[in-house]
Amino acid sequence: MTPRERILAAVRDGLLRAELPGASDDRPAYRGLAWNPDGGSLVERFTRALTALTGHVDEAVHPAAIADAIVRIAMLYHATSYLSWDEQELGCLDLVGLLGSRGLRRVTYDLPADPTTRDEAVRALEPVPLGLTGATAALADCGALVLVSGPGRGRLASLLPPVHVALLNPNVLYPSLAALLDARPDLVDQGSSMVIVAGPSRTADIEMTLTHGVHGPKHVHVILTA
Amino acid sequence: MARHTIDVLTRSLDPVVVPSGSCADMIVNHYPELLAHDAAYHDRAVELASRTYELSQFLVDVLGVTDTGARETDSLVYHASCHGLRGLCLRDQPRALLRTAAGEQCTDLPGAETCCGFGGLFAVKMPSISGAMLQAKLDEIEASGADAVVAADISCLMHIGGGLHRRGSRVRVRHLADVLAGPPDA
Amino acid sequence: MPDAPSSPRHPAPPAQAPAAAAAFYARVDAALADKALHRALSLTTGRLAGGLTSAFAALPDGEALRDAARRIRAHTIAHLDRYLVQFSEQAERRGCQLHWADTAADASRIVVEIAQANGISLAVKSKSMLSEEIELNAAFESAGIRVVETDLGEFVVQVGGDKPSHIIMPIVHRSREYVAALFRDKLGASNTDVADVPAMTAFARRVLRQEFVRAGMGVSGVNLAVADTGSLCLVSNEGNGRLTTTLPRVHVALVGLERIVPTAADLGVVLQLLARSATGQAMPVYTSILTGPRRARVDNGVTGEPDGPDQLHVVIVDNGRSRLLGSDLAEILYCVRCGACLNICPVYRHIGGHAYGGVYPGPVGSVVTPGLMGLDQWSELPHASTLCGACRDVCPVRIDLPHLLLKLRERGVAEDRAPFWLQIGMRVFSAVATRPRLYAWLGRVAALLGAAASRDGWLTRLPGPLSGWTTSRDFPVPAKRSFTDLWREKTAKGRRTL
Repeated sequence: MTPRERILAAVRDGLLRAELPGASDDRPAYRGLAWNPDGGSLVERFTRALTALTGHVDEAVHPAAIADAIVRIAMLYHATSYLSWDEQELGCLDLVGLLGSRGLRRVTYDLPADPTTRDEAVRALEPVPLGLTGATAALADCGALVLVSGPGRGRLASLLPPVHVALLNPNVLYPSLAALLDARPDLVDQGSSMVIVAGPSRTADIEMTLTHGVHGPKHVHVILTA
Repeated sequence: MARHTIDVLTRSLDPVVVPSGSCADMIVNHYPELLAHDAAYHDRAVELASRTYELSQFLVDVLGVTDTGARETDSLVYHASCHGLRGLCLRDQPRALLRTAAGEQCTDLPGAETCCGFGGLFAVKMPSISGAMLQAKLDEIEASGADAVVAADISCLMHIGGGLHRRGSRVRVRHLADVLAGPPDA
Repeated sequence: MPDAPSSPRHPAPPAQAPAAAAAFYARVDAALADKALHRALSLTTGRLAGGLTSAFAALPDGEALRDAARRIRAHTIAHLDRYLVQFSEQAERRGCQLHWADTAADASRIVVEIAQANGISLAVKSKSMLSEEIELNAAFESAGIRVVETDLGEFVVQVGGDKPSHIIMPIVHRSREYVAALFRDKLGASNTDVADVPAMTAFARRVLRQEFVRAGMGVSGVNLAVADTGSLCLVSNEGNGRLTTTLPRVHVALVGLERIVPTAADLGVVLQLLARSATGQAMPVYTSILTGPRRARVDNGVTGEPDGPDQLHVVIVDNGRSRLLGSDLAEILYCVRCGACLNICPVYRHIGGHAYGGVYPGPVGSVVTPGLMGLDQWSELPHASTLCGACRDVCPVRIDLPHLLLKLRERGVAEDRAPFWLQIGMRVFSAVATRPRLYAWLGRVAALLGAAASRDGWLTRLPGPLSGWTTSRDFPVPAKRSFTDLWREKTAKGRRTL
């Protein structure tokens, strides 16, 4: 017997004797409420929730205004280069060009499979100070962004640099995770990584003292487009 | 012991009223399970459980009484004994009775619902942990400034009272029944 | 003796292990003597438990959510074979490599072999209790592979050669001064580097970044696997979970065979409770749902994903879980490892995590450790509880922990582990308590003896095994006249009390 066969057999055998209170044969169906305790639109709720987590929310509709907003943020952190999703994934025409003309340089990458060159590539990316992504979706109740990986939508832009800027179109804003999974059950399988990001990285491991920016970004800026 | 208790208490069909949350919890929630495979006693255990009540539960839920006529002079602080609280859901009943008898003079301990550390044999099997939990409870009681601590379980009260006495504290222990009975007959 | 329900198949009860029991008590006493530990525990668990209360109070349907989470977990465990098969097939279809480990030793061997096959010399780890259960770090070290913990608390534990004391907050037992000294002594931190907590955190981030970018392998746990898409859900607040599962080219995910739910929607329900139960947050900062390794180019020539691990190995670990499943303790498998029971438990609050001795502390640990490993070395754990039930009240999946602890106590009695004095004592007590006249007579004797032995109605020393009582409290001398005596008097005189 392979370990798989052995373990499955042990599980089936265990199930003959298992005492499992509350177990039923049918799959439970639960639909979370779309709940809105403090009122307001989805955008208002999202803004309130993310601001409470020390994230920042801006608005900019036209590509030029979006570029301006990003440049302003970059200047706050003295950033002159950035990692990014591909342009078509950001939903903003010629953004890379616009940013380039304002002195912000995109660092592109495609991690090679070969171990040695991969290591070098990662090391080159580590110092880049800012990451720019779009948002596949967002959750109003907890102020979270939902980022699904894919071609042109790398994971590192929202992870490696200490500053993360996300362009969020309010038409992908959902009330809650339950609402999102209900509406878009396909999302989980669209890429190797779907990450729900609720504000900047934090820890309270040392004496329960809250600190931001442990491994993930320390600063999260969301720009609401459209 | 369970069988004996069932023998005694099933001699009549009257409600059984127990001035102890842990004992009532044992009869109501644990006897049927304990005797699940005992053909002779299981049904009787279930029947007994259906008419067994803790004291405050009986007064408030069955008799609809929250006023026993007692009016308390001591300032009291309340400890919610665990088995009654969680096994029998006795959140409101003791407090309702105490509100009538003592009003503002009875308040909850800050950690009213934190276990005092008695736990039955735990008190002698793990005396150091039991003692540590007791000290935490006693600190709260003394800090409250109350004349007495009231609870609905004598087991908690023996443990707390023994600790208060060991400390030389002037705080007394009162059982809920004692408070509800009012001053002794002339 | 009534027919017991079919008992679990476990090794025949070996001889008592008094050394293990003594070691447990020694750890307990050491913890109780540590005032600084107690302050830290009270502060931390108090805050976390308070967070849970507020978070649940803010939910419009918290109880319904718990009911739903329980139903999901119960249903999944009741059909665990089906969901394990579905998970493994779906994960493989998306490029995962599946491994199955019967024992802890198998699991760590498998991970080391994956590392060796890929020429890995450095691995980074994000928090995984299962990795501690299988003693993975020791296995890596024996194979000459360096492994670095990346969760800040676990990193401090590793650098200090310490052990974690809480499922969610590994260094709740350590002060900032301890961490500062450790970073200075072991990692060459300057005084500025450890001036305050933010500085120490930034220092740790810099040190660990160097490891992240060089590591060839990332090892993580899994909070919950999703069967219908073969996905792995991993939560973290720091982001080390994401870096561990993104930067290195090989990702190994360890998952206990019970940590699974049927669909993403089910995952969503449990996720709504997980962070709220653990820390009071509405959501963790990062919730990663990983479905297969990095997706390569598709046939029409569009580029593949630019980053992510090239290999994703999932190691499904049994290590006693299937045996636990076939027992009256199976309900513990619903657990989602949120730590709420630790935060509310008054015993844990006084003795901390190390006293329990195993990988999992607190109420859940008192069931899981003897459940997986047998009672021989863990006989005292099920008794380290007053069965107050606070844990059951906060468990997001409503596990009846006191009930499971009682089952373990029963098992201990069946395996002849009850101390001799207790066995005799209970037999004597039940013989007396079922004989009313004898009971009353002995009560009068006790009252006489007690009055003789005490000054003020209290005894300061009780004999034999009962002496534990009088270590911290006095014992009241039994009253001269019992309630039954008083009742008889009152009713004989025709008067009735209230």
